[in-house]
Amino acid sequence: MKAIELEDVTFSYGKGKRKVLDGVGLSCEPGTVNALIGLNGCGKTTLIKVMAGLEKPLVGTVRYYGRDLSELTFRERASVLAYVRQNYGSLSDYSVKDYLLFGTANKLDLFDVPGKGEKEAVREIVMRFGITHLYDKKLGELSGGERQIVSICSAMVQDSKVVLLDEPCSALDIVNQNKVLTILNSIAKDSEKTILFSTHNPNHALYTEANVFLLGSGKIIDSGPAEEIITPDRLKPIYGEGICYSKDQPYNEISFARR
Amino acid sequence: MTEDVRVIRAYIALSVGIFILIFLVALWMGRYPLEFGDVIDYFTGNLPKSSNEYKVIHELRIPRTIVAALVGIGLGLSGLLYQETFQNKLVSPDFLGVTSGACVGAALAILLGLSALMISLFAFVMGIITVVFTLSLAKVFQNRSPTILLLSGIIIGGLMSALLSMIKYFADPESTLASITFWLMGSCEHVTMKDVGLLLPLIAGCSVILLSIRWRINLVALGREEAQTKGLNYVLYRRLIIVMATLMTTSAVSIVGSVGWIGLVIPHMVRLLVGRNTANTIPLTILFGGVFMIIVDILSRSFTNSEVPLAAISGLFGTVIFIAIIYIRRRSILESD
Repeated sequence: MKAIELEDVTFSYGKGKRKVLDGVGLSCEPGTVNALIGLNGCGKTTLIKVMAGLEKPLVGTVRYYGRDLSELTFRERASVLAYVRQNYGSLSDYSVKDYLLFGTANKLDLFDVPGKGEKEAVREIVMRFGITHLYDKKLGELSGGERQIVSICSAMVQDSKVVLLDEPCSALDIVNQNKVLTILNSIAKDSEKTILFSTHNPNHALYTEANVFLLGSGKIIDSGPAEEIITPDRLKPIYGEGICYSKDQPYNEISFARR
Repeated sequence: MTEDVRVIRAYIALSVGIFILIFLVALWMGRYPLEFGDVIDYFTGNLPKSSNEYKVIHELRIPRTIVAALVGIGLGLSGLLYQETFQNKLVSPDFLGVTSGACVGAALAILLGLSALMISLFAFVMGIITVVFTLSLAKVFQNRSPTILLLSGIIIGGLMSALLSMIKYFADPESTLASITFWLMGSCEHVTMKDVGLLLPLIAGCSVILLSIRWRINLVALGREEAQTKGLNYVLYRRLIIVMATLMTTSAVSIVGSVGWIGLVIPHMVRLLVGRNTANTIPLTILFGGVFMIIVDILSRSFTNSEVPLAAISGLFGTVIFIAIIYIRRRSILESD
């Protein structure tokens, strides 16, 4: 059974407005890393929001493990998918510990507060990700990279089968980008979770050996394993003629030719 | 038990102690001189029911102190709920226009020469109608952003202030205008046990509900996207919060008039002590809000021979406390806040 399955998903922000997504279809196998690649403004964030149930498609279906997303309660959704957004908004004075515990909400009853069991589960994940030194800090005191790792930890605390991440590397330096991508890979391999992340950098798909979905003007233009898709020929329809391989790189990194 | 939990429990225990002490002091202090022993005797049943001391405590000070505490709790909680739900630490309980609407209702009732009960009823109904106006206006803009709601509140609040000015213009300067002005500044002077009966079920009911879901309110504070994907029915919770905050604020304002600053200052004060986790801030806001308003009421009836309006005292203390809070937090207030 497919972990994620989208069929003919079409979306626009308001009636009569331009279609941001136009008949998108894709599927992901359980335990795989998947990358949604495209230029800024091509609809990556909207597609992830539709997949997370935050926006309703005009037509089409989103299914997780064969179950239609629109038929699931909020609680059921939270046990199927976790969503890591691009920014935190104004949460800077929550402590990392408190923030991570919010990930346990779908396992607790209405009047419950997190107990010993939940706190221990959070501690375990914090230790696994090597961020025990951040545990008592406030979110506002963290660097961009630390924040991103904390939000990925929050998705792990939620313990959902699928993790959707919207541009997890967008605000990070290359060291932290590498850290986050390595973590995503290890989550898929060790925890058998299905990861789908969006990025405008095709090389991120190479690092994670992801299955790639190339999004252009609201449609999936191409898809397949990273080593097949992340080539100048296959990327040209989106990135234009100037795209080429970088020289002397461990991977077949993509770059733009010098003019 | 972790150190955090111990500290929070110590704060709550201390606040409960202070609440009880201030409550007793409020029964003891006032223009009619009493011994502190009279207050103790009242509770132990040793104060004769026919004595003046008994009547002062039972008929005057008990109702107004309970009402003051409930008003403080209601306004403090409403402020906290709105600030967390709309992710804006500068919103106060009247940001949907509740207070200005209630003031219009009360002023209209005074202009029409209605009874005290009708003034409260008019204020309550107009407060609710104003919130409905604000929510409807926000819908017209077809944008779910909290900023749109905030702007709608400012617009409708402005409209209500204009209506209030019109009512004041038509009021008789010799009689009704003075009554309207005094009502608007807030007072517990004419409060009776009937008012306790009106206010208690609403404020206590909302407080109990909020205490039982105190941890879950944190998820609402995360915003719609994160709350929903963490398993919370965000829209339902947001509606519930708006209904509860509106009921608490309108009922409080309709009984004692307009009292500012509590909804802004108390949540900030509590967050400064115990952080943002609503599992801790909700119980402490209840206690701090109650204590603050009882102190305001004591001061309002102890300064001079006549009563000083509540709004004047709460404004005086509110501004000073708020300056102190911002000064203490000046380094940790970020642009994203």
